[in-house]
Amino acid sequence: MARRILTFLLWVGISLPAAFAEGNRDFMRETGKIYVVVVTLLVIFLGIVGYLVRLERKLTKLEHLSKDDA
Amino acid sequence: MWWKLTSVILLLYTILAGFLVPLKSGIERVEPNTARTGEQVTVRFYGYNTFFSRPSEVPIRVWLYYNSSYALMADVVRPINDTILEATFRMPINLPEGKPFVLLNALADHPTEGASILPIAFTLHQTPGSTQIPLDSAWTARPVEKLHPQKGFSFPYQNILYETIRNTYFHVPMWFVLLFLFAASVWYSLKYLRHPETEYDRRAAAYAEVGILFGLMGLASGMVWATYTWGKPWSNDIKQLMTAVALLIYFAYFVLRGSFSDPEKSARLAAVYNVFAFASLIPLLYILPRMFDSLHPGATGNPAFGSQDLDNTMRAVFYPAVVGWTLLGFWIADLRIRFQRLKDRTLGLD
Amino acid sequence: MGIVREKDMNWKNLWPLLHKEVILELRQRYALSGIVLHVVSMVFVVYVASVKPSPPVWNTLFWLIVLFASINAVVKSFIRESGARQLYYYQVVDPATLLLAKMIYNALLLMVLGGLALVAFSLVSNSPVQRWPLFIGVLALGSASFSVAFTFISAIAAKADQSATLVAILSFPVVLPILLTLLRLSVASFAPSTLSGGIWPDVRNLLAVDAILVALVFVLFPYIWRD
Repeated sequence: MARRILTFLLWVGISLPAAFAEGNRDFMRETGKIYVVVVTLLVIFLGIVGYLVRLERKLTKLEHLSKDDA
Repeated sequence: MWWKLTSVILLLYTILAGFLVPLKSGIERVEPNTARTGEQVTVRFYGYNTFFSRPSEVPIRVWLYYNSSYALMADVVRPINDTILEATFRMPINLPEGKPFVLLNALADHPTEGASILPIAFTLHQTPGSTQIPLDSAWTARPVEKLHPQKGFSFPYQNILYETIRNTYFHVPMWFVLLFLFAASVWYSLKYLRHPETEYDRRAAAYAEVGILFGLMGLASGMVWATYTWGKPWSNDIKQLMTAVALLIYFAYFVLRGSFSDPEKSARLAAVYNVFAFASLIPLLYILPRMFDSLHPGATGNPAFGSQDLDNTMRAVFYPAVVGWTLLGFWIADLRIRFQRLKDRTLGLD
Repeated sequence: MGIVREKDMNWKNLWPLLHKEVILELRQRYALSGIVLHVVSMVFVVYVASVKPSPPVWNTLFWLIVLFASINAVVKSFIRESGARQLYYYQVVDPATLLLAKMIYNALLLMVLGGLALVAFSLVSNSPVQRWPLFIGVLALGSASFSVAFTFISAIAAKADQSATLVAILSFPVVLPILLTLLRLSVASFAPSTLSGGIWPDVRNLLAVDAILVALVFVLFPYIWRD
């Protein structure tokens, strides 16, 4: 599950800004380049979420480990 | 607990204020942007966030000015809509100080909405062969005076940045968080060297790891921003280089940690390297600025902002933003530390 | 910090230790000739590629050759000693003296290597250096700086298994300020006279970096040493 979410987030993180940038270069420059700020915030958000997902996966592994012990 | 709540509140405030506070009005460009002396020219002013057509008792006044002593005021000003304005100038017959051409700043002053300026907006050329010695009185007849301030809480307008000036609250704090986290990491490495307790080592490693995360986010978000303002994602800017070197140190730190089988040895030598590498990073702050120019504001290696880059309205959002992001960074690191503690206990290492 | 003062720095031990380093180096002649061969072959690669480097490229190539030769030369300074011998040193001498001896020895070794690289590289490509005393001074200063950083890093890496790669990874961020300053300083020796500003700010920077590194090394070394 976590892996699927991570893959999805990676896909969103890579393809969305790329689509904005490649497909329609002017889109990013519209309305005073406000979408640059949106993408910046998106990059930071995805970075944090990605880290948390990774941490959660480690935690799941640890849970399995301690379950085996018990 | 209270600091996690503080972090959430400050970041909420940062995001809301960062997105909702309007930009000050500014002039984007003027057209035409060049003329010769003696001509009569109608110049179009294109405003950003301006309210040219808002009614007022006194009409809008418009200048093209050279400096505080020489200025040309428009004879006729006709707002077309909120963002476009036509101003007709009768250009003087000669230029101040006998120059072949002068670069003029554009200025539009709305009595209720305030004044906006575009520096170096217009070039005025001397028509050849007509330089009379007495300077045309048009330069000094109607000087720039009694300007109206822009009221209300708003962020400064800058011509290439436009709305991306808001990135100051999202991109710039990443660098601060990275610095604080790495400093915390070194602090715990030092503590570990004093008293070799596993807890200190866990903390040093966790702060370094989350510091790397924020460094990567800072680089990535900076590359997005740079693409649309500096024109390319990477320009060997000193701050980009500094971040890259800091990240390299901590990648090396984790490689070093991974290359020992004995956890005590790993912790001790990694702590030594952490202190050594971080301290040797400090000279870089003095050496790099001598070799690389910076496109960042407050350039030539000054990690802080110049006063003209960060006005009071921006400070009111920027400082809370730095505190909020830093607390978030330490929160994430806290989770990492607690996870590691649990893991070490489960595996019987602690 | 108690460990540092266990045995006081003993200058009397310095000379025998230095002597021992030289003897060891000469005894393992294959190691020394390996590094010399390394320098020569890197220079030879440049020659075979028959590039006519412009002064900035010459500068970069030269310092890269010196950098990698230095890493290879210094890496072995802690590795070549077995665990038993290290234990013996630990009981007999104070760690600071031992480290100082190794750093001085490595500085001398790197100066010789640097000189060799300079001669070889100047033979195969026209060197843009005009003020030789300045350039040789920079080379000596650089060797001393590299020696401090690499000796310490190799002491850390010697405790791990894959040392040679580790030294390169670990020392890169540390020597970066030194390397950048050296590159700038040697560019100054390409012109017949120093332009405005002079070389002294850079020399001062370099000495300051060295001072910081040396101070750190002596404070931190005891922590690596005890096992």
